[in-house]
Amino acid sequence: MKEKNSPPKYMLRFFRWFCHPDYLEDIEGDLLERFDHNAKEINYKTAKREFIRDILKLFRPEIIKPVEGTYRLNFYGMFKNYLKISWRNIAKNKVFSLINISGLSLGLTCSILIALWVQNEYQIDNFHENLDQIYKVTSCEYSGKEVNGSYDTPGRLAEELKKVIPDVELACGYSWIGWYTFSVEDKKMKIPGTFAGEDFFKIFSYPFLIGSPEEALKTPESIAISRKMANNFFGSPEQAMGESIKFNNETELKISGVFEDITDKSSEKFQYIISWEFFVAQNKWLEKWGNSGPSTFVKLQAESDADQVSKKIQHFIKNYDEGYSENDRLELGLQPYKDQYLYSNFDNGKIAGGRIEYVKMFEIVAVFILLIACINFMNLSTARSVKRAKEIGVRKVIGAVRISLIGQFIIEALLFTLIAIVLSLVLLFLLLPAFNLLTSKHIVFPTTDTSFWLGIFILTLVTGIISGAYPAFLLSSFKPIAVIKNNVKTGKTSGLFRKGLVVFQFALSMIFIVGMIVISKQVDYIKTKNLGYQKNNLVYLPNTGEMARNFDYFKAEALKIPGIEHITRMSSRPMEIDNTTAAVDWEGKDPAERPTFTQATIGYDFIETMQSTMLYGREFSEGFADSASYIINETALKTIGYKDPIGMPLTFWEVKGTIVGVVKDFHFKSLHDPIKPLVLRLTHKRSRGYALIRIQSDKMQEALENLEILHEKVNPEFPFAHQFADEEYGYLYRSEQVVARLSRYFAFLAIFISCLGLLGLVIFMAEQRVKEIGIRKVLGAKVTQIITLLSKDFMKLIGIAIVIASPIAYYVMKEWLQGFEYHVKIQWWMFVIAASGAVLIALITISYQSIKTALMNPVKSLRSE
Amino acid sequence: MSKHHLGEFEEVVMLTVAILHGKAYGIAIIDELEGRLDRKVSIGALQTVLRRLEKKGYLSSEFGEATQERGGKRKRYFQVTNFGMQVLQETKEQRINLWNAVPKISFNN
Repeated sequence: MKEKNSPPKYMLRFFRWFCHPDYLEDIEGDLLERFDHNAKEINYKTAKREFIRDILKLFRPEIIKPVEGTYRLNFYGMFKNYLKISWRNIAKNKVFSLINISGLSLGLTCSILIALWVQNEYQIDNFHENLDQIYKVTSCEYSGKEVNGSYDTPGRLAEELKKVIPDVELACGYSWIGWYTFSVEDKKMKIPGTFAGEDFFKIFSYPFLIGSPEEALKTPESIAISRKMANNFFGSPEQAMGESIKFNNETELKISGVFEDITDKSSEKFQYIISWEFFVAQNKWLEKWGNSGPSTFVKLQAESDADQVSKKIQHFIKNYDEGYSENDRLELGLQPYKDQYLYSNFDNGKIAGGRIEYVKMFEIVAVFILLIACINFMNLSTARSVKRAKEIGVRKVIGAVRISLIGQFIIEALLFTLIAIVLSLVLLFLLLPAFNLLTSKHIVFPTTDTSFWLGIFILTLVTGIISGAYPAFLLSSFKPIAVIKNNVKTGKTSGLFRKGLVVFQFALSMIFIVGMIVISKQVDYIKTKNLGYQKNNLVYLPNTGEMARNFDYFKAEALKIPGIEHITRMSSRPMEIDNTTAAVDWEGKDPAERPTFTQATIGYDFIETMQSTMLYGREFSEGFADSASYIINETALKTIGYKDPIGMPLTFWEVKGTIVGVVKDFHFKSLHDPIKPLVLRLTHKRSRGYALIRIQSDKMQEALENLEILHEKVNPEFPFAHQFADEEYGYLYRSEQVVARLSRYFAFLAIFISCLGLLGLVIFMAEQRVKEIGIRKVLGAKVTQIITLLSKDFMKLIGIAIVIASPIAYYVMKEWLQGFEYHVKIQWWMFVIAASGAVLIALITISYQSIKTALMNPVKSLRSE
Repeated sequence: MSKHHLGEFEEVVMLTVAILHGKAYGIAIIDELEGRLDRKVSIGALQTVLRRLEKKGYLSSEFGEATQERGGKRKRYFQVTNFGMQVLQETKEQRINLWNAVPKISFNN
């Protein structure tokens, strides 16, 4: 009875807590009266609800008891006092406050920028609704002793998986991004896009503007295009729907859907998707289970377990591929789709890192830069503790307990951090556009993102506490009597600790500088590396349409253009040859071995155009019947093992032929990978691919203009889409280039913040020893001696830092370089440069202040007292 | 004159206190207000205004006797002070003056 009719206790307690004591009795009476009334007249539930609502509505300034007054005077009063004293300290020591705050805010800005970047990286592909159920099929090719992991799968895998494995709800093949020509009436454009199975849009959540994800890729001639593409060709998505568009000047495709433009949040960047049936019809080799190339995505049933499905499909291909054997097999696996952006490198057939390594690296850098900034604060506050000693003494005598002093100093640190974070938010706002440019991202300032502000709050708190904790404990431990008798001993431990922190700061800076040097050297190395062919002044032109059909004519005409030196053709671009096979036989081949060979077809004059070198034999030329001749590279020669290769037999894709030449190794993959065995064949007369054109550098511009005119004449249906080999090459290493640029900024920032701290310490030391220096000068010390006196200790610390940092930097950078098959060596001079750089910058920082002190007139410092 | 400005809700509350004459405590005022004006008033809103008016000197208050009801809590009875009455009068006159100044024509529309 009593329980049922009583109002909620906790609300009443809450009300009693906040209500002004003068008003408490009668308002509480009113509340109870109303509650009883409501409970009787209406019901208990309503009464309770009204009661709670009334109390919440009473929670307003006029009713709440004032924060000051007799209640908890001490607590709030002291709090106010702490803030006031902190503020006065900031205002009094302008230089130190400036050093502290600018160091902290630089460090914070840098950390927030990196955090935003990292968060952006983690969020890629997160927008798909069924992300947890989507997997990418991985494949591991075992041929002989070789193991090769990739995402390459057979073309018909998706359909069969869906049919045979009940766990697979949806599945689709997904080809690679290619640039194809599209035309509507007179408009003609080369646009990147790809092919995918019917389920593609059902698996992924790309929003549709017109049409439905279910229907978009149903018929073989259907194509779904982006809003941008629709606008370009038809003016609007509405007008595009149902229209036809010509693909590669051959086939009319019907537009069956328009999707929203792909954002940065997606790792796949396509402007259109064409149906899978169309793709397979164009590429008959996809029908064969022995061949693989495209990727496969699956969506599992909600209750399915990926590991189990993985096991089920491991030997899936066995039942389809006749050539499947213990020595030559393709095992399948599943990778969660959400991981594929950051983890896409294969090592020994297993997934091993990828972009995630850079993400992790930057996370560590962010933490360390922030730490350097915090150390500044710690060092300056502890060094200057002597100045605060009296204040602490007085506080203790009056009755402050240690915990409240610790609280005071932490609040002070928090105040510093708060000012710094406000500054850094402003800085962030200003820097974000430049940062986006640098990293080619589109990060916007997340003003409305609560998690961002929560993050900022936590960051402020953590930074404040880290930088405030040590000074707080140290300062609060002072003995009041000693302090007031002006007898402070800052103690050896705190001095040692401070020195340790300086060493730590400079060691970190040193590591960053070495890292920066090694990374930029490696990027330079990549840029200037002799690839085995000359990538400058080499132009590619897609070999399409009439140009492919009449290549000999095109070539003859092109060679008449002044400035064009050589021209040849190739089935793929020379820096990205992906096509591999194990179907190569030769005399004396070990049947257990099934090494994979990369293969490509080339035209005449290949060596001259590429400016690479033949080691033995000759290249393909028109005087010979070369349809069954092969050129191999050095590595392939080593694999095959012929002593005298020219004229020796080689069987490639069951065509018996002979080796006519050996080309010196050239890089046809990124420098992350070793050079693999390569077999080159003479291209079919009409096959497509690329024309490679060598142009004289001084006539580049006019030669290209003339080439365009010729192309327009010979091949009017296709746009003139030439590419420069060196630019394409640079594109292969875009993430390394971003890292190289960023590392430069971070290294600079680290050393800058460290030096800020150093500057603060030197200023303080000089201030402390001003009398000593005055006396020394009076007694005849030279300026240089005094400068040495002031800098010696710091230089020692930096020396120690260099000694500690060097092996660490060496180890870390060596690990990084392991990622490249071809890389620079870490050399001693890199450390010398880094070390002398650090010393020099530190010296400049110190010397400004020490020279100033040394030059001071001793009369001034000794006058008083 | 303009110093003693009354808000609309303040005026209504003061009038209600005057109506209840000696029996004006929290819940009674709310009931009266809700009954007469058909508007919902929370305890919070009312108490805020009552305290404010008391501070300005328009109202005075005293505790009544403790009873068994209301958890034994006393009621606080409010009364309009003479000064408060004067302010109310002034407000009323201002309104009437304004009304008188409105031209008759505007009613014909």
